[in-house]
Amino acid sequence: MHELKYQPVVKKVFYKPYGVINLSYDLGKKAINEALKLGASYADVRIGEIFDENLTVRRGVPEEVSLLYSRGMGIRVIVRGAWGFAGSIDLKSEGIAETAQKAVSVALASSKLKKKNIKLAAIAKSRKDEYSTPMKKDPFEVPLEDKVDVLLSAERTLAEQSPLIKSSSTFFRAFRENKLFMSNEGTEITQQITFCGGGLLCVAVRNSEVQRRSYPCSFRGNYSTAGYEFFESLALVEHAKETGLEAVRLLDAVKCPSGKTDLIITGEQLELQIHESCGHPTELDRALGMEADYAGTSFLTPDKLGKLVYGSENVNMVADATAPGGLGTFGYDDEGIPAKQVFLVKEGLFMGYQTSRETAGDLGLGKSSGGMRADSPLAIPLVRMTNINLLPGDWKREEIIEDTRHGFLMDTNRSWSIDDKRLNFQFGAEIGWEIKNGSKERMVKNPTYTGMTPQFWSSCDAISKDDWKMWGTPNCGKGVPAQVMYVGHGCGTARFGKTRIGVLQ
Amino acid sequence: MSVEELRGISQKALKSALKENVDQAQVAAFLFDSARTRFANSQIHQNVVSKKGGVAIKVAIGKRIGFMRADVLEAEQIENAVGQAIKIARVNPEDKYFKSFPEPERWQSLQDAFDDDTANCSPDYRAERVKEAIEVSHSESPLVKAVAGSILSSSYSLAVTNSLGMSAWTKMSLASMNVTVISEKTGSEGFGYAEQSSRHIKDIDPVKLAAQASEKSVKSINPAKISLGEYEVVLSPIAASSFFVFLSLIGFSAAPYQRGESFVKYHLNEQVFDEKLSVKDDAGDPRTVFKLAVDGEGVTKKRVPLIDKGVVSEESICHDTSTASREDRQSTGHALPHGLIRMTRPIPFPINVIVHHGTASVDEMIEETGHGIFVTRFHYTNPVVPTKAVLTGLTRDGTFLIKNGELTKPIKNMRYTDTMLSALKRISMMGKELEAIRLGTVTVPAMKLEKLRFTGATEY
Ligand SMILES: [Zn+2]
Repeated sequence: MHELKYQPVVKKVFYKPYGVINLSYDLGKKAINEALKLGASYADVRIGEIFDENLTVRRGVPEEVSLLYSRGMGIRVIVRGAWGFAGSIDLKSEGIAETAQKAVSVALASSKLKKKNIKLAAIAKSRKDEYSTPMKKDPFEVPLEDKVDVLLSAERTLAEQSPLIKSSSTFFRAFRENKLFMSNEGTEITQQITFCGGGLLCVAVRNSEVQRRSYPCSFRGNYSTAGYEFFESLALVEHAKETGLEAVRLLDAVKCPSGKTDLIITGEQLELQIHESCGHPTELDRALGMEADYAGTSFLTPDKLGKLVYGSENVNMVADATAPGGLGTFGYDDEGIPAKQVFLVKEGLFMGYQTSRETAGDLGLGKSSGGMRADSPLAIPLVRMTNINLLPGDWKREEIIEDTRHGFLMDTNRSWSIDDKRLNFQFGAEIGWEIKNGSKERMVKNPTYTGMTPQFWSSCDAISKDDWKMWGTPNCGKGVPAQVMYVGHGCGTARFGKTRIGVLQ
Repeated sequence: MSVEELRGISQKALKSALKENVDQAQVAAFLFDSARTRFANSQIHQNVVSKKGGVAIKVAIGKRIGFMRADVLEAEQIENAVGQAIKIARVNPEDKYFKSFPEPERWQSLQDAFDDDTANCSPDYRAERVKEAIEVSHSESPLVKAVAGSILSSSYSLAVTNSLGMSAWTKMSLASMNVTVISEKTGSEGFGYAEQSSRHIKDIDPVKLAAQASEKSVKSINPAKISLGEYEVVLSPIAASSFFVFLSLIGFSAAPYQRGESFVKYHLNEQVFDEKLSVKDDAGDPRTVFKLAVDGEGVTKKRVPLIDKGVVSEESICHDTSTASREDRQSTGHALPHGLIRMTRPIPFPINVIVHHGTASVDEMIEETGHGIFVTRFHYTNPVVPTKAVLTGLTRDGTFLIKNGELTKPIKNMRYTDTMLSALKRISMMGKELEAIRLGTVTVPAMKLEKLRFTGATEY
């Protein structure tokens, strides 16, 4: 097992693109005081703004060049032992008082239907700090024309590969959140989180046979909490040719056969497997039934903590908000808890949850894992994945392939589905290959595999270290009303024995 | 803030854009006031209100387009946003397909779209309804362990202006409640679910929802495992709604259609579904809950025949102005209303889907089933092969075996993986009653399918 440890990076640089608001301590104090005056025993406030630049080039034209800007505040209170929350775009002084009053009146309504008082896990000490995503080149400072140029040129190369390519798209996204967190416990944190990235997608069509291929992964590419240098490192133009050609080759590939086999999964697919089968079920709010109406509950119930065999001894998974470049990397969560690394699965055993102060308190865990985030200042924080990483094993990717007598390799996610306790899953990949006597042989199309979470991870007999990297998933949905969060997954390639593949007939 | 004030905001922003020598400009201003009381473990655990609003600004300089959405409603901030949209347009390469922003049309505000009681609903009113749902659920059976769900009260207003003379506005109220009941007996859990949406908060009936969900929950304790394969299925309206949402996502939206990934493209004018299946998107139909007269670009929402007696065609595709211009067509009024519906990538999308009803009751469907499965709800549906309309998903919250015309026993949740081109090709019976599902964006009856292919099962 290779543990990964990093020093958290704190860099006090705040970039100021269009419309930047004053992350005002005065406004925050006013909100908290108002809530306390109205009877709150706990109050925190988040004031923030988000810049979200999305560029899409398709068929030679900029199909989407848009900037989204949002700002506002959210006040969260405990009154008579129950939660209330109000969010608003209104940052004027009178507006803040009104928002605080709404939060309190909502909490009073909650308190009529409570079974016990909310108890938050204690914090070690109140903190005053700043954090900013380290970066070399601010993606919002790079001229728009330059970014669009890269996309136009990569898209041209993709499209050029064959007349069978009917649609080719290239993507760029830069995201920035400036935020302030304050609580009546004295915590004051300002943060600037920036991420960017991009990718390629092309669709090849012959008659009614349609295949797609993405680079570097699906969901419009890969993203990292980093500057423009990360987007540059993706080298979209250089990868466009191979991506286009593979989509066309897939049209001639054979159907993925059905059966039970050794299955090698690369990071581009494994990240989503980790997300769905380890990330979500280890969220303690789910395990405690708090998401029962929508996303569901979890097979990892508290009675199984420290007891259940989740996977083979090779399997070590952590929630790590400190991983450099991870899409879920930050300085503090939205309850002001410093970023940390916690084990979820250690040598195959289910060892820990991702938690909030409330859920950690409920379970008597003593302290929060620092997993609370909201997708906007107007929304309540929920237990969200940070970076859920599968720690590297001892293998090289090529060694895993060479060691496989017969099996299949699947690459890049195309479809996903898992039950509401996170047991039965089914995934589809964009592309697959049959492995025979240690080498990649024929290509297969529409590859799928299915299994049950603990059995599947228990069959994991090889994990690579040489191709371990961070993958960003910017579209994790949770909560009612729905929130979309950006989370990360570090992993390489892994092999699973006797896995059912080829679900399609 | 009233819809009149939003109109003022959009007109003012339009004026300031036009001062800057742009050829065309369009401004949509919106406000979404919502309150959601959420409960789990038979108590309120999340109780939130939010006031969200902003402007979406689009300008054209020749064929160069700039777009900015800013969730702000203060004058100075809106001015900034206008400036930013213009800055984007100045450096953006030409969109050769761009023709024009939409021309003004005659439009009519929709009757009965707004209910003050819903818009002004108090936190206490919502808490009372939650209390009823929890109490009724527990009173149904001592086996009921936990009640979860949420109740929503909200109002939405939108005003759109453009330099071609368009000035359209619309507002509606929206209420919704869903109840999940978990029961337990000697370590085995049972689940049940019910939901309701309406523009009128007073129509929401927690007692009925709780009774339905808890009955299912208790009945589904101790589920049996059955073998995989093809079964006849009776789908509740909630279960059936999943198919139509995903067919819209992968088929009826112009976005996948133009990428070449829509199954519709490969089956134009073919009888791909049962002839009993007719589905339209129609904001003007009195049965649809989402009563918005115009879309996010101010275009009047057109009636679109998504499936006409089992046949799909080019007329099935939902467009906004941008996708329409790529095919020399007109927008069908399917640009999403800003700030109301959360989609990771906004694409033209039907939100007033109505499936044509039949004549059968659910009881009759069950009576006519020899060996089949009753499905309450599907979970985590997703496309597997979109061009072949292959979907997968799991049953949830009450799945039962039907034998010789009767619900016999609960079964463990099953995963289906099947193409809708086969599953919806043979619909043996259509329900006579429509229900508004998913905040009322899909209005659909129960239905009985001759077969659905189940490829996996889970442990509960
Ligand atoms: Zn997720």
